Amino acid sequence: MAATHPETALVPFIRGELGGAERDRIAHHLDDCVRCRDAAESFRSLLAELPARVEELPTPEWTVYRAEIRRKLAARLEPRLRWWQTGLGWASLATAGAALAALVLWFAIPGLHGPAPTVDELAMEQPMDVADVADVGLLRNYGVVERLDLLENYDVIEHLDEIKPAPQGSNAVRS
Amino acid sequence: MKIMALAMAGEAADNGRVPGLTGLKELPDEELCAKVAQHDQQAFELLVERHQARAYRLACSILGNEADARDVSQDAFIRLYEAAHRFDGRSRFSTWFYRVLVNLCIDHRRRRKWWGKLLPLAGPGDDPNEPGIDPPSAEPGPDQAAIGRESAGQLGEALKRLSPNQRTAVLLQVQEGLSSREIAQVLNCSENTARVHIHRGLAALKKILRNE
Repeated sequence: MAATHPETALVPFIRGELGGAERDRIAHHLDDCVRCRDAAESFRSLLAELPARVEELPTPEWTVYRAEIRRKLAARLEPRLRWWQTGLGWASLATAGAALAALVLWFAIPGLHGPAPTVDELAMEQPMDVADVADVGLLRNYGVVERLDLLENYDVIEHLDEIKPAPQGSNAVRS
Repeated sequence: MKIMALAMAGEAADNGRVPGLTGLKELPDEELCAKVAQHDQQAFELLVERHQARAYRLACSILGNEADARDVSQDAFIRLYEAAHRFDGRSRFSTWFYRVLVNLCIDHRRRRKWWGKLLPLAGPGDDPNEPGIDPPSAEPGPDQAAIGRESAGQLGEALKRLSPNQRTAVLLQVQEGLSSREIAQVLNCSENTARVHIHRGLAALKKILRNE
């Protein structure tokens, strides 16, 4: 009869969950629709049968089960030691304190970490800037720098002035 | 002190010699839960006793594994003890408690999926140290037991063929008597979705159990 069957409302209808308009609508539908009436009837008998069958499903030994719950709960309720309540916590705290004191002493007493560096020393420690590299005389003649085998030989470097310049257009020289 | 009280109350309840238990037994779950919120051990024992079988079966239906179901359903009772004060009485106790249980089961399944990916060779029942399921506590006669086992086995197999949501919805309806709206609250879905789960689950069970 009806184009749409209220299939999902059948169980709530059987169980008396529906109220007012919805209940009346389903009841009216069931009066006219044999298919839904049969479905509702078979759901009703299944719902009546299932509780007993569910009870037969295997279960554990409940006394043991409850004893396990008690044991687990007791373990959860057991007070846990805080870090300051353990010997390890105090040892760590003492070590950290000693390390901090040593650090303070290191900075507080100037003689402990040597004299402060001079301005020249600081300048020497500065990393060489890229722009400064261009000022190094040796790098002006890049062709020579590429001859690393020469640089490795200190004697050759000592007599650098005697080395003939690389021929023009050679691969070694790049302007 | 609290731990000792817990152990003593539990053992006394198991031995059936708790003086105030008779009065407590008449209280509804909601009132017992209020007492558990004040750490009443006897009320807790009684709530566990009332819901242990249903909680275990529900966990079993979602997880499909007796050992996990045992563990997770026990955790749900521990959670109940710790969080009873959060139960505000706006819903039925069973709706609240089974929601806690279902959430724990979902978390457990998610973790198991993760571990399953990391250790694909390990499967349920592979661990020899895993506690097996205990024999049923009731002791029916041999014929009755055989019929019961067959029937329960058939239903167990049929339930396994449903989706976890369908299994949960059907069990909550059948053993707890929860309405579609309450099942929707437990499953955290709309009432219509819950109705679909119930309808499809029951239709599938009908088909399997009656060979339709």
